[in-house]
Amino acid sequence: MLLTKEALKLNLPLTTTRLKRFIRDYVKKTKAQGAVLNLSGGIDSSTAVALTTLALGKNKVLALSLPEKETHSPIDIKHTKMLSRKFGFHLETIDITKILQAYYKAIPAFDPNDRLCKGNVKARARMICLYYCANRQNKIVVGGSDKSETMMGYFTKWGDVAADISPLMDLYKTQVRQLAAYIGVPSEIIAKPSTPQLWPKQLAEDELGITYEILDLILLGLENFMAANEIAEQLNLPLKLVEGVKTRWLSSEHKRRMPLTMKMGYRTIGADFRLPYTPS
Amino acid sequence: MSDKITVALGQMSCRVADKKHNTQTMKKKITQAKRIKADIIAFPELSLTGYVARDRAYELAEPVPNGPSVHEIEKIAKDEGIHIIFGMIERNAKATTILHNTAVLVGPKGYVGKYRKMHLPTHSVFEEKQYFRPGYQTPVFETEVGKIGIMICYDVYFPEITRLLSLKGAKLIVCISASPSVRRRFFETLTAARAIENTVFLAFVNLAGVEDGLQFWGGSRIIAPSGSVISEAKYDVDDFTSAIIDYADISRVQAWAPALRDLRPEIFTSLREEAENL
Repeated sequence: MLLTKEALKLNLPLTTTRLKRFIRDYVKKTKAQGAVLNLSGGIDSSTAVALTTLALGKNKVLALSLPEKETHSPIDIKHTKMLSRKFGFHLETIDITKILQAYYKAIPAFDPNDRLCKGNVKARARMICLYYCANRQNKIVVGGSDKSETMMGYFTKWGDVAADISPLMDLYKTQVRQLAAYIGVPSEIIAKPSTPQLWPKQLAEDELGITYEILDLILLGLENFMAANEIAEQLNLPLKLVEGVKTRWLSSEHKRRMPLTMKMGYRTIGADFRLPYTPS
Repeated sequence: MSDKITVALGQMSCRVADKKHNTQTMKKKITQAKRIKADIIAFPELSLTGYVARDRAYELAEPVPNGPSVHEIEKIAKDEGIHIIFGMIERNAKATTILHNTAVLVGPKGYVGKYRKMHLPTHSVFEEKQYFRPGYQTPVFETEVGKIGIMICYDVYFPEITRLLSLKGAKLIVCISASPSVRRRFFETLTAARAIENTVFLAFVNLAGVEDGLQFWGGSRIIAPSGSVISEAKYDVDDFTSAIIDYADISRVQAWAPALRDLRPEIFTSLREEAENL
């Protein structure tokens, strides 16, 4: 298999139609009143919100901007409003600073210098807000996670990945960019570097140590059962780099599943209880 | 028996595990088929239950032919004077814990027969061997609308099935399917290939809609022995398509491309040996 940009090219009209149908179908089957989404102003959440609005109509979509003091970004706030004006969905802002401070204060072992643990609190606090609003309004939570970050485990467990459906989760980041441009997400948003906004100046590609253009091709190879050395050779990359990506992908499987349990019963949750996901 | 018959394809989406709803959907399409005086209508693989039933397969299974759903659809076939092929989960009558992925054929005189899917995909998103026992027979049904063979979905990847059905005399092969969108280009190629290499009419009817994140691509079609698509349904969504097929066309195509005449049966022995030694 050839790992090239061409291999990641989407049939955009078909992709858009099918993803919109997927969202509409799930909302219909669950009898939900619409969708709630996090809107950070980054490309993933912006694409998810735009797509969901195109699928369900602007009156059925509530986007929550959930900024906090430490990672506050005026440009991101500006972009959320720009997107809302363009697509017409309802945008609400909930500043979660006080929620976070209450958590920090209440947890005896809280360490402000452990930025990863502190950052995870932010992601989980956002999840709580999303689900609260969704529960109140009988809406589903639509996630904005993409395939690159999900495969790499680059998300907070039960945090930013938490959703009822995630329409972008089978698209790599570079594919989300294609989709974003196609459905009309403003180019300023698409051009911004990705960040989970867990601590100041956090940039995804810095943390991952690799650009998405390269990462997506490595992940595509791994998806297609290619060996690390095959991928490294084809992309002219150090083997160590590719092996590092593979290790990270494999070791984050626990984040993508229900909690592991010991098999004790006839059928076990997460193992061999196989039920349809969608209600009939 | 007339050389010309009208074949209808009821491309539908299902509500998983809701046999009542799915039967209603089939009834509406049967009414549509009767309006155009169709002789036979086919519905997709597992159209009675939906495809992604998973562990619910055990509660949804029924015996064939002596189950309530077969009886219900049999009655419709008798009342409407039409042949109907549909898919369901069959509970084996002898060993009731054994299930099959089955296509049932009923007609104006009642139950005609069944075909149990021989090749059960268990790769990628497919888990059929988790639930079903494969079939071992490839019956050809002699009916008032011609000699009909049936296969199901993944069977189309195996040319042996259509070869056997055509050698047994089938002139119309109906392939009922639950094919997800990522497989579309394979099926579009293979269904035409099966029709051409056996000089038969091939009616392919596929599920539509979305189940558990799987988009079924629809695209149901009736293919002539020459490989031409003579009628086709929309992609992805519920639809209905039909065509008049003329069995006399088969001999015209056979004269031009006599694949069955030129078969080399001795190769089949080698095929078996090589396959067993894989």
